[in-house]
Amino acid sequence: MGFKLSTLPDRQNIWPWLLLAPLAIYLALFFLVPLVEVGIMSVTEPPPGLANYERVLTGSLYRKVFLNTFGTALLVTVCCLLVGYPLAYLMSTVSKRAAMAILLLITMSFWTSFLVRTYAWMVLLGNNGPVIWLMQTLGIQDPPPLLFTRFSSTLAMVHILAPYMIMNIYTVMQKIDPSLIRSAESMGAYGRSLFRHVYLPLTAPGIANGSVLVFVICLGFYVTPVLLGSPREQMAAGLIGNQIEQFLAFGLGSAMAIVLLVVTLIILGLYHRRFGLDKLYG
Amino acid sequence: MNTFIRWIGIAVVAFIAAPLLIVVPMSFSTAASLQFPPPGWGWQYYQAYFSDPSWLRPTWNSVFIAAMNTLLTMALVVPATFALVRHKFWGKSAANLMMMMPMAVPHIVMAIGYYSYFGELKLVHSKLGVILAHTCLSVPITFLVLSANLKGFDRTLERAARSLGATPRQVFLHITLPILRPGLLISALFAFIQSFDETVVAIFISGRNAETLPRKMFDSIREEADPVIAVISTLLFAIVFAGLIAPSVIKLIRRMTAKTAQQR
Amino acid sequence: MSSYLQLSGVNKTFGNFTALGHIDLEIEKGEFVTFLGPSGSGKTTTLMVIAGFEDATRGEITVDGQSLSHLAPQERNIGIVFQNYALFPHKTAAENVYFPLQMRKVGKKAGLKKAEEMLELVGLSGFAHRLPKELSGGQQQRVALARALVFEPDLLLLDEPLGALDKNLREQMQIEIKRIQKRLGVTTIFVTHDQTEAMSMSDRIVVFSDGAIEQADAPLEIYHRPATRFVADFIGESNLLPATITDAGTRRATSPVLGDVTFGAEGCPQVSDGQTVDLLIRPEHLKLSRDPKEGRQNAQMQIETIVNYGDNAVVIGHASDQQIRVRVPGADVVILKEGDTCHFSWTEDAVFVLTE
Repeated sequence: MGFKLSTLPDRQNIWPWLLLAPLAIYLALFFLVPLVEVGIMSVTEPPPGLANYERVLTGSLYRKVFLNTFGTALLVTVCCLLVGYPLAYLMSTVSKRAAMAILLLITMSFWTSFLVRTYAWMVLLGNNGPVIWLMQTLGIQDPPPLLFTRFSSTLAMVHILAPYMIMNIYTVMQKIDPSLIRSAESMGAYGRSLFRHVYLPLTAPGIANGSVLVFVICLGFYVTPVLLGSPREQMAAGLIGNQIEQFLAFGLGSAMAIVLLVVTLIILGLYHRRFGLDKLYG
Repeated sequence: MNTFIRWIGIAVVAFIAAPLLIVVPMSFSTAASLQFPPPGWGWQYYQAYFSDPSWLRPTWNSVFIAAMNTLLTMALVVPATFALVRHKFWGKSAANLMMMMPMAVPHIVMAIGYYSYFGELKLVHSKLGVILAHTCLSVPITFLVLSANLKGFDRTLERAARSLGATPRQVFLHITLPILRPGLLISALFAFIQSFDETVVAIFISGRNAETLPRKMFDSIREEADPVIAVISTLLFAIVFAGLIAPSVIKLIRRMTAKTAQQR
Repeated sequence: MSSYLQLSGVNKTFGNFTALGHIDLEIEKGEFVTFLGPSGSGKTTTLMVIAGFEDATRGEITVDGQSLSHLAPQERNIGIVFQNYALFPHKTAAENVYFPLQMRKVGKKAGLKKAEEMLELVGLSGFAHRLPKELSGGQQQRVALARALVFEPDLLLLDEPLGALDKNLREQMQIEIKRIQKRLGVTTIFVTHDQTEAMSMSDRIVVFSDGAIEQADAPLEIYHRPATRFVADFIGESNLLPATITDAGTRRATSPVLGDVTFGAEGCPQVSDGQTVDLLIRPEHLKLSRDPKEGRQNAQMQIETIVNYGDNAVVIGHASDQQIRVRVPGADVVILKEGDTCHFSWTEDAVFVLTE
């Protein structure tokens, strides 16, 4: 065993490729091929051509679903931000012990399966659930149905995705040097102007990270909207699933999937050029 | 201003905690469907879960698939991470991007792809198919965790070991591997959970033979809202809770035993 | 062929960048040699080439007549203490020290016993079962030293090992390292950019600059008879004043700052009439006075700054656009004022000539 990694140039060039090859081949076979197949199906099933894309991009149903998907993703992102920012701020100001307790709760939520959390909202908002019960106890006759509405699916998605936002913002807030805030205060910045000119710019990277992450996950979200949402106001992933499961319309489903993929990749691509993709999930 | 933020914060904490807490009492309910407050308390749905093969089989399927997925993912990702973190070579940034791609593609898109591709390969409704698909989806998170660990590894340690007489193989076995062990375990855990929780691809390709727990839960929630789901949710939640507080409990026990040892 | 470690024509290039020009060096068995130079001067690269972590582009290294060129690092039997100690975090102090013995197939029981003896030698008995993170910086340093010595290496290399320690601990460790090295008689190369460390510890100092050896000599030799301007400037404080030789035979030169000067320090290089040279006078060899001093050579300067160190002080002044530094006893400072004009004086044996 006399070989030296750093000294044999030809070996140095082939070595990383040898290490990388199994994974590269694996991903090519079991990731790229099926992905390309979606693209192929979108233009060959049933008629060869772009008919599927024409339907997806011009049909009123599909347009409505895509608009609804975007709208929901945007709404969820904004709500996550409104929920997450104050909590992250609170965590960075309270005692270490309290911050750890909140962090424990958030990680716990983060690690609990999407399905479990979706189910929990079903229990909470159901017709025989505690929220309705509370409303009835408070004397509200005929409370409106909460479950299987846009409200319930949005609420659950905010709950499920908020930890991503909170973690991202909290990480940058923690790194802010308190002396920076003190020196800004000494220069006369306080209250709203301190927030706008010092705190907000410093936490912007966390906001950007969290927002992109939440938005992108929300765009392709399947489980929660399908289980909790209104069947009349589907989101893209749910409709794609429908096309495949119920109508076996692989071409149409694939065309929608490709549109969804392209939109997702454009957003991530813009993010990647600005910040680098590996930062996003770090 | 600060008290205002504090109240918002408390509201958010309640918002995050409430759904996690509600499933626990529901699992001890005697009601046949979702009902709050529960009409009575009992263990009946726990008994139902642990005696019903239609729940137990998916559970074991999920454990098996996640375990196999973890082995396969680690076997592929560990060498690749070493290549990407420790070497400079042409095409490195493209390779880096490749590792992250499965995370960027919505699962529903992959689900269609696997449904059709594995149909051709006769892998639909098989555990192998689910394992192969889940391994792709586990690559990015495993790579991220492991590469963060490997980047933090001080390579002078390896040089020191060489100077002390260790061959590259011995360096790897005696120094690199033991020091990286916590990172390897954590990334393996991430791979396991990624597979154990994955729902969308499993819904489309696992079929009856390889039915995973999330698929069974999804179907059950959609169709009948079986209260057994509350039991499973409580159990999963308890596992996460135990996993998260385990390190601090172990630390506490160590500190206590260290103290009693000192007193002796 | 008599010397123990021999570097002949060692050259190292990275692409277009020459890290080491052409290094020739001989080190005797048991010698304590310090590589001194600014960062990037090639001292650490030379160390890495000796250790086998970098291959020399050209040239050869032998230990005791045996070439190292085809030996991997683990086959060279060289102990190294790294800058950050590089202790294995998952092994206790004793296990760290046992590691090289383990690699040499020494049994666990005998090996750990020897490791503990070694820890005792470096003054760490009782710390054998601690993990590195439970040890202070100085203690970690000692473990690293014990680990590098326990397998009786042919050579001990120390790469700026004291850089991370505070001043008191540094001095303590300097003495300690020297004591252990003497006791074991191991041939040692010590890399540092700290000249006082080099001065106090070494049998010989090798001064590096820009990938080449400027001078390799005993500490006092280097201080009093530097071979080049670079060495004179880098080691200690110096006044370097341009001059022209007027009469080589009577050792006379003329300088725009000092006027006509007789130079007479021991070991001055050969010069010829009309040659331009630099005159070196160390600040402690200059004296300040109101009036010219009898029996010494004198020149005038205006005091600019006085930096007080308590027991002594450095007076910085100007003489025809040239900065002059004078080190005076602390007690003399009270009569001096910034802005004053005064005389500084020297004797001829304090004036050394530099031709390179």
